[in-house]
Amino acid sequence: METKEFTIKWGMAIDLDKCTGCGACMVACQAENNLAPVVDASNKIKVMNWITVYELSNGKPYPEHDVAYLPRPCQQCGHPPCVSVCPVIATDKNEEGGIVSQVTPRCIGCRYCMAACPYHARYFNWSDPVWPGGLEKALTPDVSVRPRGVVEKCTFCHHRWMAAKDKAIVEGRDPMDLPEGEYVTSCTEACPNGAITFGDLNNEEHEVAKLASSKYAHRLLERLGADTQVYYISRREWVLRQLDNYLEDEKVKG
Amino acid sequence: MAVDRRGFLKFVAGATTGVLATPVPWKLLDDASIWTQNWSWIPRNVDGENSYISTISKLCPSAAGMKIRLVGNRPVRALPDDNHPLSMGGITALAAAEVQLMYSPSRVKRPLKHSGDGAYVAISWEEAEKMLKENLRRAGSKVAYVSGDETGTINELLSGMAKASGSEDFYMMPSEVQPAALAFANMNGKGQLGYDIENSDYVFAIGANILESWGTVLRNRAAFKNTHPAGEKPTATFVYAGPVQSNTAAGADEWLPAKSGAEAIVAMGIANLLIKSGATIDAPDFAEFKELAALYTPQKVATLAGVAPAKLKAIAAALSKAQNPVVLTGSEFGQGTGVATVLAGTAVNMLLGSFGREGGVKALPLAPKVIASGMDRSEIAQKDLVAYLSRLNAGKVSAPKAMVFYEANPVYGLPQPAAMSKVMHKVPFKVAFTSFLDETAKACDLILPTPLGLERFDDVETPYGIGQAFYGLARPVAPCAVDGKPAADVLLGVAGQLNMDLGFATFEEVLQAKAEAAGADWDSLMEGEFFTSDAVVEQSGLRLCAGIIGKALASAPKAGKLSIAPVQKLNIGTPNTAIPPYNNKTIRRWELQKNEMYVAMNGATARELGVVKHDRIKLSNSSGSIQARVNIFEGVMPNTIAVLMGFGHTAFDKFSKGKGENVMELLTVGYEAGTGQSVWNVAGVNVSKA
Repeated sequence: METKEFTIKWGMAIDLDKCTGCGACMVACQAENNLAPVVDASNKIKVMNWITVYELSNGKPYPEHDVAYLPRPCQQCGHPPCVSVCPVIATDKNEEGGIVSQVTPRCIGCRYCMAACPYHARYFNWSDPVWPGGLEKALTPDVSVRPRGVVEKCTFCHHRWMAAKDKAIVEGRDPMDLPEGEYVTSCTEACPNGAITFGDLNNEEHEVAKLASSKYAHRLLERLGADTQVYYISRREWVLRQLDNYLEDEKVKG
Repeated sequence: MAVDRRGFLKFVAGATTGVLATPVPWKLLDDASIWTQNWSWIPRNVDGENSYISTISKLCPSAAGMKIRLVGNRPVRALPDDNHPLSMGGITALAAAEVQLMYSPSRVKRPLKHSGDGAYVAISWEEAEKMLKENLRRAGSKVAYVSGDETGTINELLSGMAKASGSEDFYMMPSEVQPAALAFANMNGKGQLGYDIENSDYVFAIGANILESWGTVLRNRAAFKNTHPAGEKPTATFVYAGPVQSNTAAGADEWLPAKSGAEAIVAMGIANLLIKSGATIDAPDFAEFKELAALYTPQKVATLAGVAPAKLKAIAAALSKAQNPVVLTGSEFGQGTGVATVLAGTAVNMLLGSFGREGGVKALPLAPKVIASGMDRSEIAQKDLVAYLSRLNAGKVSAPKAMVFYEANPVYGLPQPAAMSKVMHKVPFKVAFTSFLDETAKACDLILPTPLGLERFDDVETPYGIGQAFYGLARPVAPCAVDGKPAADVLLGVAGQLNMDLGFATFEEVLQAKAEAAGADWDSLMEGEFFTSDAVVEQSGLRLCAGIIGKALASAPKAGKLSIAPVQKLNIGTPNTAIPPYNNKTIRRWELQKNEMYVAMNGATARELGVVKHDRIKLSNSSGSIQARVNIFEGVMPNTIAVLMGFGHTAFDKFSKGKGENVMELLTVGYEAGTGQSVWNVAGVNVSKA
């Protein structure tokens, strides 16, 4: 299947050597995208996180042990396995920017997309969201609250892109030529370590495009051929090795 | 007309084709999908105009600068502020949840009185203020104040009230601030120690959790961000020494395993090597210091702190080679460290020539106090809360008749909380000014809801760790979500009625005076600007206090074979906030499962203890005991058990209450020889299967 090409392709480069696993991105994402808090968040399979931070270990015993943290938003695949299995076109990749959409009112909750996603980036609302004690007053107006029975996922804060485009149009600028940094995701904005770089992968001026072509840039399970728009950077070989299924004696680029 | 079988089938086929040719089934399916999601209990989006207000977090210990996004008049997000020196484009996991905390289920919604049968009774503010006034009048000079705010001028008000009533008992909740202030005062220093991390090319954090919780974290992390360009060689080196491969260690270029509580020893080991290579300090007691440092050879440091000699030597060499190195000391859990730790760290900075140098350590000026009877920071640093409470518990000092807690949760947040609870029983009247129904509030007779930092005027003056003098205001972004009143206004009103002359009628006047004293422009502060100054305080006759370091190290407590290493992470909250609802999901899988916490140890330690992952164990020592399950994490030193702070709340709400156990139960208070300061950064522990 050919990758659908777009003039703008929003992408991320996440430097795993800079992420310390603080969780600011996860909190910012929940608050921005109106994910409900849960009392018991220890069942990680059922807990909804559009971005989640995984802990990586080099597997060596003390004192050779090393640790890294891997934030995982939706990878916005070029060949999204979730799109082809959706029976109701609730998820699609056909909009300028290359963001895999998720139209929750159209979703019938069959969860085929969850089974298809190799990155576990999709979550099913097993129950209705609850904001106790008036917490719903802090909901943003940007993202509709999803009820039980539908699947949801990271949208690269698509509403922020729409807002940036609207702003550009109002100001008489070209909405397809936004300056770098005018549209960034909530997690990118929150990260105090600057581990996440966001921008247009097709624009050579953008930092993310330069980082994506770095010899240290890899993608998650790259050899599946999903052609994802999220790149991971690390100067540590053991970290890069964990991004895909390498044979023991296989050399990793970088 | 009879309908035969064929006719019927034709009709069905025709009808099916006909219906399918219309948009009806597709429209119905679409509508069914939409309307089955359209329930009255699912909140709708409420739109409004966007606006942004710049302010500072009073909840996050980092004093995070942030922009609050409002939609109409509703605050909805706490966002980073690129232009704020306490944000520098980042936000902490705690500050990011601050707007949502306005509506936390655990907020105290109105003044509450503890009735005789243990129930809470809602009372009016009038009755509450009358009760407070009567009890403070009755207590006279037998009153103690405890504050949990490290940076606000309210401490002058609280200490001023204590002094005006004839009491010297004003205390701050312990943190990194007191040992640092005491250390610098002992050195004959003037001002507050500040660390110019952003201009340093080699940052050596000994125990100081600089990328997670130490000092002005966002500023530290901005320095890390700027010196570590993505995918490129870092332009500055960050090294972290501590017992656990913590978040700071994960980001640092190198993790130097070093035992918990051995920070001063590591610093002395570095001093030893630097002096050997010819470094010297122009200080009156340098000869004494040199003699002391000579004892801390790499081999001795290896024995006492578990640091590999080769690594220590390599770091000392790298520090010597660096242009602008800086050494930061602290406790990996932000409290309990001794004065000697900061003294030793400062001495290393002086050996490196980093004292007063760009990218090194500075002495920052502090604004003079504005409430004449109040205490300034150096006076406050002398007041040791843990020592006071221990004396109270032991009956060595008479119990106060009234205790006032301002945004402080000592019943949860101090070592040996059980002993703290006992102290509470000895005090006839306790009042808590708090936003949340925390453990201390639950032990109080009167609970007074305070607006959050987002709902009131407050200030932040030069938080510990920052490299330049700072003054800024926290401004209300929305009306108080509960029936709360700012504690400062309530206290000033009560002080007036008790004929205490504090010199101000309102807290806004206090803040205006403070701003002026700091050299800041009030009008621009009110517009969200902030005041910074690169001024430093000139020093003369700085001493190294080798005597204090020597005494402290000679009689430092030994942990025994197994020791615990508490780990602080801001996403799990503070004693004042507990776990914010939005932060529950950031707790890792093997940190908490349902209500059971996990503690981490390396494989070799687990084998020695005969336990495997998920085993239930009991950790106990003379202070107390906790239960947990075992997680194997190789980033923990041998014979060390890493225990997360922030669990085991018995108050707050369902997002925090009853989750895991409180590591503070295991921390034993000792007293540092040489200064008498309370310390609890070393704790031995026994492990048994539960």
